[in-house]
Amino acid sequence: MASLPSACLPLALPGFEHIKRAWNDAYGAYSARLNPGEYYVTKNAEGIYTTLGSCISACIRDRVSGVGGMNHFMLPESPDDEKWKAAGMGSSDRYGNFAMEHLINEILKNGGSRKNLEVKLFGGGRILMNLLDVGMRNIVFARDYVATEGLRIVSEDVGEVFPRMVVYFPLTGVVRVKRLRSLHNNIIVEQETNYLRTIDAKPVIGDVELF
Amino acid sequence: MNTNIADLVKGVGSLVTLPDVFIRINQLVEDPDSTIANIADAISQDPSFTVRLLRVANSSFYGLSSTVDAVPKAVSIIGTSQIRSLALATSVASSFDGLSNTLVSMEHFWKHSLYCALAARILAKQARNCDPDAVFTAALLHDIGELVIFNRLPQQAQDALLLVLDSADEIPVYQAEQQTMGFDHAQVGGELARQWKLPPLLEECIEYHHNIHSALRFPREAALVHIANILALMAEIQTLDPGDVSPIDPQAWEIVGLDADEVMLSTVSEAQEAIAEAEKLFLGR
Repeated sequence: MASLPSACLPLALPGFEHIKRAWNDAYGAYSARLNPGEYYVTKNAEGIYTTLGSCISACIRDRVSGVGGMNHFMLPESPDDEKWKAAGMGSSDRYGNFAMEHLINEILKNGGSRKNLEVKLFGGGRILMNLLDVGMRNIVFARDYVATEGLRIVSEDVGEVFPRMVVYFPLTGVVRVKRLRSLHNNIIVEQETNYLRTIDAKPVIGDVELF
Repeated sequence: MNTNIADLVKGVGSLVTLPDVFIRINQLVEDPDSTIANIADAISQDPSFTVRLLRVANSSFYGLSSTVDAVPKAVSIIGTSQIRSLALATSVASSFDGLSNTLVSMEHFWKHSLYCALAARILAKQARNCDPDAVFTAALLHDIGELVIFNRLPQQAQDALLLVLDSADEIPVYQAEQQTMGFDHAQVGGELARQWKLPPLLEECIEYHHNIHSALRFPREAALVHIANILALMAEIQTLDPGDVSPIDPQAWEIVGLDADEVMLSTVSEAQEAIAEAEKLFLGR
């Protein structure tokens, strides 16, 4: 059964103390568990993992210093332009911009250098069968964003009909992606739907800085 | 037997109706005095099964050289025991409609089961002394305990699935079930099979597909279903890397007498090629 951790829980970077972390036997390391909408940046030898349905995760690291992290987001399902305009923003892409900018800025703030950044993209599955392919929208957005920022995608596993489990170790860049069986679809869809509701309920203005 | 499991299964009888034609054929197959004509009569009294039987008999599933246009011919070519398997297999999806739940769509559930059934049948044809049709039906039913748990214990079932998702390593669902409720879907399915007096081969394959060393009466069939279950996962997530799914008990290959390196990937590919037609034959309403 569960073995004892071979190390103490490493210190989280300021601002990430609230992210749930636990010792993981399978990887012999502490791992941070991201829920939809969260992100996490670290310099430690620890993992970051999440499960993705239609949502997408960018895994970004400085390949020289090893500081890096992961986000987990989705563009609002139906661009609720009125609400966004009222908040002073143009379109639902704003939400993706925040998720990407936050991650990149935290990496830079903690010693990362823009020219050393490498990006991996995961998720964007087509698992919400009755809706538009929201997964594809997320993929297109993320690829465009990375290209616009002049960054490089070094690997990706996106689209198709599978949910995914992603474990990422920024320090080494090692990533493990598992496609999940459809048995898990409904729970993942439920988690992502709840997340979408929270986006709709409070448009991003207020607790988010514009960069 | 764990009383929780018995209690859980007790109320299920009214939600699931095994087809009458299966029950009648089952009695006739067990009766040494019955004839092929008796079985053909029983089949002919169920027009809907008659149609399904002839469709399957003429499909690439059997790959017979001549057209099968009459029930007695189907029975003599396919075999009485195999017909019994088909009577269960071709109506399985509608029989279990009563066990609806919100955790998994029936479409996804039966697709996995059908992948498993196809893989088990392909392997059974290569392993000697196995009835491919019996193994097919056993594999089609291998996860029925899951439907019981999802329907009767939705909260615990959800907790178990969340445990898998939180594991970061995708622990097998049956292990998560044992951790959250103290038993798993294989045990529940086995109890259900006993309550329904399904043939012992089906009962053992259902009950021991995660625990093949306990299958004492039909060890080879249980091992086939165990292997096929993992190959079904590979077929579903479209991978040829066994590292992407739960491990196969290495002894399972020894028990069935097949070489993993020789048959594993071809079985996955064959099941993927066969799934579309099989869905029409077995899951069509």
